[in-house]
Amino acid sequence: MTMIGSETLSSLAEIPPGYRARVRLIQHPRPEIARRLRELGICEEAVIRCILRGNGNMICEVRNMRIGLDNTLARSILVSLINEASAA
Amino acid sequence: MIFPTLTYHTLRRRRRAGSIPDSHRRTVALIGNPNSGKTTLFNALTGLRQKVGNYPGVTVEKKEGRLTINSEECTVLDLPGTYSFLPGSPDEQITVDVLTGRVDHSPIPDLVVCVVDAGHVERSLYLVSQVIDRQLPLVIALNMVDAAGRNGIRIDAGCLAQELGVPVVETIANKQTGIEALKHAIALTRRPSSNARLWQLPEPVERECKELVTLLGTYHKITGPQAFEEATTLMGSESAAIDLLKHYHRDLRSHLQKNHQKLEFLGIDRNSIFVESRNRWIRSVCSKAVKQKRDHQATFSDRIDRVVTHRFWGLIVFLAVMAILFQSIFTWSAIPTGWVNSGFDLLESALLKTMPPGDLRDLVVRGALGGVSAVVGFLPQIMLLFLFIGLLEDSGYMARAAFVMDRIMGRVGLHGKSFIPLLSSFACAIPGIMATRTIENPKDRLATMLVAPLMSCSARLPVYTLLIAAFMPPVRILGFFSLAGLTLLSMYLLGLLAALGMAWLFKRTLLKTSPPVFLMELPQYCIPSFRSVLTQMIGRASSFLRKAGTVILGASILLWFLATYPRLEGVSTPAQRLEHSFAGMAGKSIEPLIRPLGFDWKVGIGLVSSLLQREMFVSTMGTIYNIDNADDARGIVSLQQRMREDRDPSTGGKTFTLLTAICVMVYYVLAMQCLSTVAVMQRETNGWRWPAFQIAYMTALAYGVTFIVYRSGLWLGLGG
Repeated sequence: MTMIGSETLSSLAEIPPGYRARVRLIQHPRPEIARRLRELGICEEAVIRCILRGNGNMICEVRNMRIGLDNTLARSILVSLINEASAA
Repeated sequence: MIFPTLTYHTLRRRRRAGSIPDSHRRTVALIGNPNSGKTTLFNALTGLRQKVGNYPGVTVEKKEGRLTINSEECTVLDLPGTYSFLPGSPDEQITVDVLTGRVDHSPIPDLVVCVVDAGHVERSLYLVSQVIDRQLPLVIALNMVDAAGRNGIRIDAGCLAQELGVPVVETIANKQTGIEALKHAIALTRRPSSNARLWQLPEPVERECKELVTLLGTYHKITGPQAFEEATTLMGSESAAIDLLKHYHRDLRSHLQKNHQKLEFLGIDRNSIFVESRNRWIRSVCSKAVKQKRDHQATFSDRIDRVVTHRFWGLIVFLAVMAILFQSIFTWSAIPTGWVNSGFDLLESALLKTMPPGDLRDLVVRGALGGVSAVVGFLPQIMLLFLFIGLLEDSGYMARAAFVMDRIMGRVGLHGKSFIPLLSSFACAIPGIMATRTIENPKDRLATMLVAPLMSCSARLPVYTLLIAAFMPPVRILGFFSLAGLTLLSMYLLGLLAALGMAWLFKRTLLKTSPPVFLMELPQYCIPSFRSVLTQMIGRASSFLRKAGTVILGASILLWFLATYPRLEGVSTPAQRLEHSFAGMAGKSIEPLIRPLGFDWKVGIGLVSSLLQREMFVSTMGTIYNIDNADDARGIVSLQQRMREDRDPSTGGKTFTLLTAICVMVYYVLAMQCLSTVAVMQRETNGWRWPAFQIAYMTALAYGVTFIVYRSGLWLGLGG
């Protein structure tokens, strides 16, 4: 958990399957990776949904698109959980 | 088709008036995000009128085709899929370089067709907006509208055309729908849309950017879209690195320094502001042109994914798919390969009957025909493999396979996609090496290519079976496993372990990359277009025939020459003639080198003459031991007997012992005894450096391991 202002943020890697979250901050040490994430639609303010977790990686949905990413990468994406009621 | 600017008739008038020269053949570049159906559309546009080559200096496949519209010939380029103009792989780099005119012999395309997956318009518009920024003439092919419709996505193509200021054509490439309309739009679009950049930056950033553009014009004579792009790159660069940008004018650098400070003061993140501003504009376009049912429903793809990417079931599905793939290249291909071989046998006997005996007949039959049949013999395997890979890619499963395997392959530093090439190499390293084309990272790809020939291919099997049957005692272990079967299994395992071990080593030393990142789009599942898969398969197979085939043919003739000359005059047996030839001399002269491995000159000749193909070891042994029919079952049995009984005349000891047999097998597991693989490596890496390295490391590895096995065997008393 990370605090920014009064908001509690968690990393994308902590979002359980079926839940949605809003991307708040991408803090990957390699700018080209951060940029690629943003080009794929994982950018600040985007709504992202965790679909499933695999062995050390996960699939999430953003802009109608399924993206597979590993947990190390997911930990560099800080999100705030939204809309817990609609979780599957 | 939505077409806001030119009509066909105005175009005809202009052409008659001479404003558009007819002599110049137009180049149309197809670009798009990965998985947007670009290649299917390319195949639908050009059919079989395409050729596959390489871009100069890189291993990226260059696909070019011909398209005739109203008697005008165009060249169509299928550029590698990319998400943006900021390349992340050599494939993407090529796309960007071609579009900006930085590739030799590839002028800037006259028209860009951007393939947009109708299900993912929002994502695709990022690349579209970059093409518009560049002021290139553009047509949008809104592809897979049917699949998008099924997922509740409706796109107002008219509205999209209006917003972007470029023609938008709806297509369903795998059903050949909309192709004529697209051709029409290609014929009519000759100019970039009048709108320049459509998206805006926040006011202070826009101002800073304009100032930089002015400075670039004043000091460096860079103007237009290029100046804007350069300005945004400069603004995104690291503050600490500005002093290093020596090729820019001093004033410009100091301005940039101030500019960075100003934006920092305003709390603007220079790294994300450009992407975000573009995305904001994209969202506004999509809110007008894309209508989507809001509620999320599990799609067909989601339901499949629940099984296919599951922690446990995903692996089971993957193994099943791989079993079928392996079966197909290992067993099914044997049927067409058999046809090919019997065809060549017929041809050979016909030539033997019709041509007068002599050197020419020998050259044609043993040298040239042997080489051609070796090349064509690989074709069924290659075609089947590419058929499968095409089906797996087009259906959307390939990305899932990479997802499932990533963790396991990641342990040795390879990408999930490395698995399929390695598995295919169990059948034959040639299609395996060609299958590495799906791996984007060049170092991961190279590491996979370097280790692929260590997997025990089907050509090693005759060597293993000959030696195992001849020297392994018929012992059963635990009453069920035969020693012979276990030996065969351990040869396969040795190859697999060596491949993974060497990959691990290469990725830690020679081909070091930053820790691998898995970030991949998983496309929607769809029924593959057979037409497209077949076209792609034929294209790749013919490229193999043309490029690798010539090298293999040459090598085969050379080896025939070495095994035939100098001729021994007078009456002699084939064994004496072989012993007397250059290959025989080479076998004898390397004897001191291979003695420490327990090999004598006979094995030496076997090693030399099986340089083209490993299975030639068996027929060479047949020649040495005067067995005429070493290829059939009876011949093999008598060959095995003679090999067991053979004794060295000088020492009286046996030439072949159980230990020698094991050592020969271990050597064949690890050594690069396959010139065809070398030829393919040369073609795929565009040079001789990596194939030479591969031969060197594999020979060293084979020598080292065989030496250790031989010495340990002697120490354990197995040498008798």
